[in-house]
Amino acid sequence: MEEYKFIGKSAIRVDGKEKVSGAALYTDDLEFGPDLLYAEIVEGPHAHAMILSIDTSEAEKVPEVLAVVTGKDFPYNFGLYMKDRFIFAQDRVRFFGEQIAAVVARTPQAAKKAAKLVKVSYAPLPKVLSPIDAVKKNADLIHPDLENYEHVPWFFPKPKSNIAHHRKIRKGNVDQGFKDADYVLEDTYEVPRYSHCAIEYHAAVAKYDHSGRLTVWASSQSPHTQRNLFANALAPLGLKHNDVRVIAPHVGGGFGSKAGVTMEIIAAAVAMKVQGHPVKVLWNREREFYNTYQRLGVVAKLKIGVKKDGRITALHHELFWDAGAYVEYGANVVNAVGLSAIGPYKVENASIDSYCIYTNLPPGGPYRGFGYSEFLFGLESHMDRIAKHLGIDPIEIRRRNAIKEGDLTAYGAHMNPNGLLQAIDAVEKEIKWSEKLKSSNPDIAIGKGFSLFWKAPAMPPNASSSCFLKMNEDASINLLVSGMDLGQGFLTVMAQIAAEILSVPTSKIRTENPDTDRNPYEWQTVASHITWGCGNAVKKAAIDARDQIFDLIARTNFLPKDMLYLEDEKVKCKSDPSFELALRDFVINGIQMEDGTFKGGPIIGRGSFMPEYTSTNANPETSQGGHPNVHYTVGAAAAIIEIDKQTGKVKVKKIVEAVDCGKALNPSLVDGQIVGGIMQGISTVLYEDMKFDHRGKMLNPNFTDYKIPTALDVPDEIIPIIIEVAQPDGPFGARGMGEHTMIPVAPMIANAIDNALGIRIKTMPITAEKICLEILKKEKE
Amino acid sequence: MAIPYEFGYEKPLTLEEAIQLLGKHGKNARVLAGGTDLANEVKQGFRVPEVLIDIKGIDSLRKIEIIDDRLHIGALVTFNEILESKAVQDNAYILYEAAGLVASNGVRNRATMVGNICSAVACMDSAAPLLVHDATIHCLSVDGQRDVTVQKWFVDNRKTAIGEKELVTHVSIPIPKLKYAGAYQKMMRYSGEDLSQANVGVLLFSDGKCNVAFGSVGPIPKRSPKLEAFIKEKGINSQSIADAKEMISKIIAPITDVRATKEYRMHMTKVMFERAINTAVERLKKPKLITKK
Amino acid sequence: MKKISFTLNGELRYIYVAPNEGLLEVLRDKMGVKSPKCGCDSGDCGACTVILNGKTVRSCLIFAIEVDGQDILTLEGISKDGLTPLQTALNERNAYQCGYCAPGMILSVTELIKKNPHPSEHEIKESIAGNLCRCTGYKPVIDAVLEVTKKH
Repeated sequence: MEEYKFIGKSAIRVDGKEKVSGAALYTDDLEFGPDLLYAEIVEGPHAHAMILSIDTSEAEKVPEVLAVVTGKDFPYNFGLYMKDRFIFAQDRVRFFGEQIAAVVARTPQAAKKAAKLVKVSYAPLPKVLSPIDAVKKNADLIHPDLENYEHVPWFFPKPKSNIAHHRKIRKGNVDQGFKDADYVLEDTYEVPRYSHCAIEYHAAVAKYDHSGRLTVWASSQSPHTQRNLFANALAPLGLKHNDVRVIAPHVGGGFGSKAGVTMEIIAAAVAMKVQGHPVKVLWNREREFYNTYQRLGVVAKLKIGVKKDGRITALHHELFWDAGAYVEYGANVVNAVGLSAIGPYKVENASIDSYCIYTNLPPGGPYRGFGYSEFLFGLESHMDRIAKHLGIDPIEIRRRNAIKEGDLTAYGAHMNPNGLLQAIDAVEKEIKWSEKLKSSNPDIAIGKGFSLFWKAPAMPPNASSSCFLKMNEDASINLLVSGMDLGQGFLTVMAQIAAEILSVPTSKIRTENPDTDRNPYEWQTVASHITWGCGNAVKKAAIDARDQIFDLIARTNFLPKDMLYLEDEKVKCKSDPSFELALRDFVINGIQMEDGTFKGGPIIGRGSFMPEYTSTNANPETSQGGHPNVHYTVGAAAAIIEIDKQTGKVKVKKIVEAVDCGKALNPSLVDGQIVGGIMQGISTVLYEDMKFDHRGKMLNPNFTDYKIPTALDVPDEIIPIIIEVAQPDGPFGARGMGEHTMIPVAPMIANAIDNALGIRIKTMPITAEKICLEILKKEKE
Repeated sequence: MAIPYEFGYEKPLTLEEAIQLLGKHGKNARVLAGGTDLANEVKQGFRVPEVLIDIKGIDSLRKIEIIDDRLHIGALVTFNEILESKAVQDNAYILYEAAGLVASNGVRNRATMVGNICSAVACMDSAAPLLVHDATIHCLSVDGQRDVTVQKWFVDNRKTAIGEKELVTHVSIPIPKLKYAGAYQKMMRYSGEDLSQANVGVLLFSDGKCNVAFGSVGPIPKRSPKLEAFIKEKGINSQSIADAKEMISKIIAPITDVRATKEYRMHMTKVMFERAINTAVERLKKPKLITKK
Repeated sequence: MKKISFTLNGELRYIYVAPNEGLLEVLRDKMGVKSPKCGCDSGDCGACTVILNGKTVRSCLIFAIEVDGQDILTLEGISKDGLTPLQTALNERNAYQCGYCAPGMILSVTELIKKNPHPSEHEIKESIAGNLCRCTGYKPVIDAVLEVTKKH
């Protein structure tokens, strides 16, 4: 194994001191001076209604109000993958709380007062609050213009329906596969909507100055994508891409919620109407819940056929996604799952129908796991049930079916190298799977559960990353990238990559969150692709800088270029051990020759990366033929839980999770992702419970009643395990693992509950109440 | 959040000053102690007063003391001060137990027990302990002192027997002559900070008398004389507890809301009753009543 | 508007406030102290935690006018003389991720270890149970606190 000096080391976060000292500034912390204006939103109180009229005259009279804007001011569609969204509602509202108008005023108080005076009259329309209702015959259409929306070529909307996209897999002979099966299990699983719950609200400040420059400061996972969408949506107002600048300070948690564009476009648009003034749009906790993305809900019908030995002969997975009122981003969740809903298994005969369905609920969008948590809840529950029926150990059945390198995925591409079997073995051993646990307290039941997971980045085939690397006089480095450090430690890892190539310690590499004017292009910080994608760009930039260094030394010192190497911030030469030259001696000012002239110039590395083997060109009826995903990251997890049989309360005693990240560039940060992801997974399965009333209004948009765990809810023991089967095209073999860590948790806990109580729960969340009522039901029977 | 409502602020430094202000402003004033409920209500535009009367300058309200066999807890005593008080631990352990389950440390540093029973939100934690201890709420106004028993204090959800011009100065709890032990059980959705979805307080005396109070399972928390008489008559054994749990079905009428269904609340109240009474029995057996956490 | 004064991170400050101004907004918007954050505005998340007269409180549930004559400490005040051993341990263990909850949580632990220099794991959890964090799963924070407070 190659020895690295910086890679694979648990370097301290480059933003660590800022964050523990209180110095870190987030969007709402920035100062914009006394001219800062505040926008307040007017929200619609209907899940589905036509807007008959909007009267802003009273609001405009409120002192200190500068502007009141409505949908009429911005009759533009926008969206990431499908342009079905509007800055403000146009002729109709499609979810409860949708933005109708905004008031811009000198103070938040004045804006609030005025917003209450905007009079809107509505004609309510029948609302559709479930995906199953939305696909019924004669269901009311939420987007009658669906067929006219622009969208990416890999979406297949069904005109005059509520189906915005249908991803279809047909592989092998499914009918024959079920005929060949010794046992077929068919059931339905339901996973409701969830909220990201980043502790920082969405925040955006925009200023359209008198020179025609639009600058937006936003809490963002996607500065360049935001720039692109702002420029496209506001092009009718005369904006070009280079007129738009997005500056992204620290982000107080994303988890997908700050990807793409949601409320930020309100700031950008409103700023165009109050030229010269910065305008702040700050969301609040309630809106964080009902007017940003939510994780999509799904009703998943799953049928799997197996031989007696547990080998899968056929799989049919039908997923009805509650994608909400606008699916410009969420439809790609549906697509990603459509491609991957066989799970990490070798399945010769598979059919998948993944339907993206409009409902009159808040827009569904990206959320850590991007649909994989949702379908794996059913799939991994199903695998356990099949194992139980066949009398096979739940781990063994997974081992027998586990996908291996070179096996065909659902869309017919070859599976990448992976450590799935190693992960299974490691988890089995660490959790002491074969050891029988018995409770000494008759009121407490003990159970063990297991689950596999996999996930691929869901990206356009040409999603790309780039990097500028600037060397400074003292050989310190400014590394310019446009990925976002959402807390995962991206910036630290990028610094480690550059450090490894250039032999400059991480502490001398400054890398910060981006400004789209200064930092080169990055698609988005989503999909767990950034370590891999941007890491490749950084590595290329560092190699580019190193090449420039070696070229210069070869030219000035007449040394063979291929004999040069870097060590301890010095250039050295294998064929001339007496030669060494410190980087700081020449990376800016060049090298002086005998005649007094200088050669060289500032060393500036450049790297860009795009996977050149991906393609979405495939037969839409089968999805065979393309290569939509770059690779999958896989892993396994197991849990030991205790259940209070009288109250239904679950105590998680121990969780072990192994993830194959190819190469752990920074093991401490990998562990951080595993522990944090597990906790988020525990939260979704045991605690978080989003409630809507009959009007489609969310009833618990607050932390008082939408419970995310506290320190008192942490499992007694969490054991992260790192598996490293290198990703051939990853930087130092790395592949992403940030989202993955929460994916196995829900089915694993459901399996442990079944193991403890003999009760199979097929709907999430699995709250204490649900478990308790099931126990009572079982006792009655 | 910027508060778009305006109001005045007064900070009396003596009780006399405070009740004069209350006498003047009456229902247009709100008394501010810890403010943890009040600030939220005002931000939401709910019960916005003309004037806030901040009583934190009146030091005499900050005391926990024992006077004539009664434990006095002043209006400014926070939940964390209750947790740190040996007098409370020694004489009203159940109140100590409940205080430890109120919100989280940062809230308990500020929130007061008296504020809790004045807000009188159905999910409050202080009510059941005070009910089983037959506490008295002491009110003061320009018209004089008025004492209200805790049984008559709660009128409806968020509504108490307090008069418009009255200030609660303190709550007092009689220290029983008999040996006694109590236990508090709270239904929460997880181990962390949560509002009670149901709670049960039990106070058991060496003569077999048993006080039982139920909270968060109706608009107001309440004692159940019927259940108490039953336990006193039958004693505490597995049969009487089972029968008592059956009786609870008719005593409380929980509702279904965003936090829990009525079925689960009912079931949990019975489970908690059983656990509370068993805990109280165990505690009563101990030579000293105090069980440190 | 009323003129009030209070000690903020060791410095006596004067400011005019109206009764309806919250302490969190006044600290952040009028006094430039940005470490207390807003995460729920209802006392649930603890991001706005400050130390008032030695005790952690929710600055979103306090009117600025209430702190006249009192003493407030925020993470800026704690960091004034360099990182404390607690902050150093948190930093070295990469305990935080997005860092948004860090100021509030660090103040909660600071209050705890002042009272109780060698807390148990449960006491540590209890002290930060009112500081919600969505990134870390709390464990790296708890481990760092255990390390820095263990008896030598």
